[in-house]
Amino acid sequence: MRISKIKIDNFANFSEFEIETGDNLVVVGENKVGKSNLIFALQLILDPGLSERDRQLGLEHFWDGLGDNKLGAVIEIVIELTDFEGDPRLLAHLGDCIVDPGPPMVSRLTYRFQPKADLEGGPQSMADYEYILFGGLDPDNAMRPGLRRMLPIDVLAALRDAEKDLATWRHSPLRPLIEGLTAGLGEDDRDAIQEAVDTAQNTLAERDEVRTVAQIISDRLQKMVGPAHATPISLGIAPTRIDALLRALRLLIDGGARGIADASLGTANLIFLALKSLELDRLVGEGERDHTFLAVEEPEAHLHPHVQRLVYRHFLAEPEDAADEEEDGNEDPVPATRLTTILTTHSPHIASIAPLRSLVLLRRDGAGAGDRTVGFSTAKTPLTDSDEADLQRYIDVTRGELFFARGVILVEGDAERFLVPAFAEALDIPLDQRGISVCSVGGTNFAPYVKLLGPAGLSIPYVVLTDRDPVEAGSPLARGRVQKLLEIVEPGPVYDDLADAAIFRRGERHGIFVNSRTLEPELLGSGLARRMGQILKSELPLRRAGREAIDGWVADPATVDVDRLLGLIERVGKGRFAQRLAAGATERRCPAYIRTALERIRDAVA
Amino acid sequence: MPLRSTSSAYLRHAGDLVGNPGQQAAYDSRGHCVVLAGPGSGKTKTLVLKLARILAEDVRAPRGVACITYSQECARELTRRLEALGLRDAPNLFVGTVHGFCLRHILMPYARLAGLAVPYPLSLATTRQTDSAFKQVAERLLGAGQPYKAHDMGKYRRVHLDRDGPDWESDPDLARITEGYEAALRRGGLIDFDDLVIFGNRLVSDHDWVLPAIQARWPVLAVDEYQDLGVPLHRIVERLAFEGGVRLFAVGDADQSVYGFAGADGALLLELAQRDDVEAVQLQLNYRSAGRIIRASELALGEARGYQPHDPRRQAVIEFTERPGGLEDQAAYVVESLIPAALAAKPGRALGDIAILYRAASVGDVFADSLTAAGYDYIRVDNAAPYKKVGLTSWIEDCAAWCAGGWRTGRPQLAGLISRWIGFRSGRPSELESRRMARALTSFLSGHRADEGAAAPFVSAIRRTLVDPLTASDRSLADQREQVRRMSEALAEGGKLEGLDLKSLGGRDGSPTHINLLTLHSAKGCEYDVVIMVGMDMGAMPWRRETEDELRESRRLFYVGLTRARDAVHMLYSGWIPGRYGAQRLGRSPFVEELEERLAAAEE
Repeated sequence: MRISKIKIDNFANFSEFEIETGDNLVVVGENKVGKSNLIFALQLILDPGLSERDRQLGLEHFWDGLGDNKLGAVIEIVIELTDFEGDPRLLAHLGDCIVDPGPPMVSRLTYRFQPKADLEGGPQSMADYEYILFGGLDPDNAMRPGLRRMLPIDVLAALRDAEKDLATWRHSPLRPLIEGLTAGLGEDDRDAIQEAVDTAQNTLAERDEVRTVAQIISDRLQKMVGPAHATPISLGIAPTRIDALLRALRLLIDGGARGIADASLGTANLIFLALKSLELDRLVGEGERDHTFLAVEEPEAHLHPHVQRLVYRHFLAEPEDAADEEEDGNEDPVPATRLTTILTTHSPHIASIAPLRSLVLLRRDGAGAGDRTVGFSTAKTPLTDSDEADLQRYIDVTRGELFFARGVILVEGDAERFLVPAFAEALDIPLDQRGISVCSVGGTNFAPYVKLLGPAGLSIPYVVLTDRDPVEAGSPLARGRVQKLLEIVEPGPVYDDLADAAIFRRGERHGIFVNSRTLEPELLGSGLARRMGQILKSELPLRRAGREAIDGWVADPATVDVDRLLGLIERVGKGRFAQRLAAGATERRCPAYIRTALERIRDAVA
Repeated sequence: MPLRSTSSAYLRHAGDLVGNPGQQAAYDSRGHCVVLAGPGSGKTKTLVLKLARILAEDVRAPRGVACITYSQECARELTRRLEALGLRDAPNLFVGTVHGFCLRHILMPYARLAGLAVPYPLSLATTRQTDSAFKQVAERLLGAGQPYKAHDMGKYRRVHLDRDGPDWESDPDLARITEGYEAALRRGGLIDFDDLVIFGNRLVSDHDWVLPAIQARWPVLAVDEYQDLGVPLHRIVERLAFEGGVRLFAVGDADQSVYGFAGADGALLLELAQRDDVEAVQLQLNYRSAGRIIRASELALGEARGYQPHDPRRQAVIEFTERPGGLEDQAAYVVESLIPAALAAKPGRALGDIAILYRAASVGDVFADSLTAAGYDYIRVDNAAPYKKVGLTSWIEDCAAWCAGGWRTGRPQLAGLISRWIGFRSGRPSELESRRMARALTSFLSGHRADEGAAAPFVSAIRRTLVDPLTASDRSLADQREQVRRMSEALAEGGKLEGLDLKSLGGRDGSPTHINLLTLHSAKGCEYDVVIMVGMDMGAMPWRRETEDELRESRRLFYVGLTRARDAVHMLYSGWIPGRYGAQRLGRSPFVEELEERLAAAEE
């Protein structure tokens, strides 16, 4: 089962908020954009631990954009669930909340905070408000309380104290495991352990040293009060019952050398998450739950980046072995997915491992009074399977930044990745400050990224910088490339008949910018020739003829032998070459297509 | 552990079934099971224990068991028996009528999605509305004085389900009336009781996606008194069980099918029992009646069933008595001789162990008057009763029982009263609303606990505080509200139940101080030490000019009356019935005639 849609109206940062979602949710967005409020919205419907009072909201929970009209407004939170009809237990929970018989079936749960039904006149205060929770379309179809208990949301808050949680027996996720162990121990085993412990205790108590001390105490006692009042004394260990022993089991780290209290915050958190994961398995396995929505807020808080990636890959992974488990009865087939993971994060490390379809991007829309948070999700972005595979493979930590960007400059490779920020700096468009990321697609396959960032995806403004790549005969390679992107961003027109120049002009209208050749010769002609020559000559052991050729190109860039120039640059390494060249970037030397692109993206994120 | 609507109390009782192979087989069944249960064979016990076992062992909330019965009263009795096993109304245990099930668990969740042509919100027509719609439409089509009655149309609708088939036109007049009647209701945004089941059937028949949804929620469907439930339910059951994967547990006795006039058909039960994928179980042992009564009942039925008495040594009285002076004479004999004799015959026997059974409510009037004149209290269940047993009136009675001392033993259970009370609200109320209603009821009931006291002020108070505010706001309760009004009226000064005390209001059974006065139809499912069947004359039992089918049904009705008795049966007749032009001397009932002859022959 999964959440397929979330709608929120008039609540916290949200007004007419609606997103479609995939198997899991990785919610990314800046601070204060409403990530935690989104989780709280889900809790209002699904959290069995929330009290009646928690669900009775206050004026502060209404969307600020309502201004003076909060009193009288209605807060509504809707979640739609799908992919459950294969599991009779889930179907039994959700069968009378169906809003679309499908296939696939879709059920809806709604929380509504509204003025009381029997009110005469408008509401005067929050006391005139009530909340209702209902399934399907009919507000009279109140949600059964059992539903929340069996399909609950568990929230692990951002800054929790894992160590403390582990230390208190009652809350410890270790407790059910130990209790399970206790229950599973056979009578003979228990006796054997008990005997071993008793023997050890007796061995200690019967040692002469111990007896001597006991005798000394007894003697002193007799001397003080006489034999009539003195009770005989011995030293020993109070008999320990096996259950108490088991309960005294503690988690140890470092080969048993230290307790969990001595662990680093990161280790404690990691252990906590491992136990939590086991607990969820157990709850589902024992039939106490039929599904869990596990929300983890900002998991990056206490974990090292590489551990973050590993841990959350585990939680976000596709279920593999669910089918192996057997339930006691044969009534219910084992459901495929019994865990929906919801992460909120501003860590590119986590965003980069998120299944592509699970991304939900929250962004502020508008400013001042009408300010609200809008959401974009990749669940329904029209990516092909190979697009998806491509993105999933190439989005690493660096590219993961693009999920957090307010604007993105898509470039072909490392050369642009170093040079474009330098030119931006020179043009007084500081990219970091403006939240603009430069993202290298490692080649010329821009299409998946354009889909991902476009309006059917994350709706992040972007520009594309690509080389013209002329060839001996016919159209430059860039023509096909740009045409393909146009077919994505502006489908409809027949582009085949258009001239190259017309294609490029149209491309520019959509933020796709092409230079006149390839990047490096372009730079040679834009006033960086001398510097390029110096870099080549200092980096490479060149013969005289080579040095002279370079000098010739520097003197007159029009004479450059492009293939040879690129060959030399590649010997230096394109990235390294670009990195050194970046220091020479100035406003005057910025190639025109880069400048136009930078100005465009600057204006788009303004 | 998670909350479950289960209790292990059933295990203590399950041992009772050992030694009764039929009951044990039903209790152990794993797949579809049909229990063919003769009179007094412990069918309700078997059903209730099996339900408890299924809830404990086979299903887990939110999945559950739906148990469908044919009337509110049966549902109430089952609920009572389940409560005694520690099981009560829970979200995953439905006990109610087929109408209630169709409304709550088929139409409300799915009708709208399926695009069914029913008005929203689902709003039930009152009897007054349906009567007037029928009258108007029938007279418009066929003129004043047209021959059809509303129940003719009712049966036609229940029996002819396939509107597109040729069968639908088998009586064009009734077909037209039905269509006009339904259109008139729809114009008023209404549906009626039959619509619930007809639409329920249409929904499960036409929409495959509904089957898994119902199967998920109700993997087990139990049906009590299957022979009384008619074709639409049978279709729903077949579709759910044999195409939807719902496990069926049906209980019934075709010999006791007495609602053919309303469209029921005992053959449907036998049809189920003969399927290869159904385990059919016969309950042969009769725990109720003495052997002689069992033999007599088989002779009356004209079929050998092979039922055996549980205790072969028990003796029985079967008497045939002619009272030539008509019903008044029969009543005098009952009051002067039979009742005193019956009470004297067995120590500890009370008035509540005696029942007077008759076919028509008008006969009941005669006996009611005689009993009143002789100073006997009685409980009367028939159409002429002061008020009908509907959900609300039954609930008020049970509330009275709780207040009048039932609270000490938890019979009925407060939790059950509360959940029934909440159930009267249309739609599913929120937790908040449920809690509010529960609080209001609990405080009312605990405030009205009284061992002594009259029923009238109690009913006024419960109406004022709880019932009237609810019924005023909910149109669908209009019919029940009318019955509650009649209840008040009967209890008021000059009413038929004037002076009734709280304890006596509190229940159809458990009142040892009241003689039972019922129609043969109402007596189904009941049992008494002494059964007095009155008015057993030709022209009443059977009616004159009955068709073959009707004759068979009358015979079954006679059989039902006979099999209610534990120790004694008295047949009273006069040899004539009152007619428009004076007495019609048609002789005593041929069933009585036959029985006396056959019994004499058999016992020679």
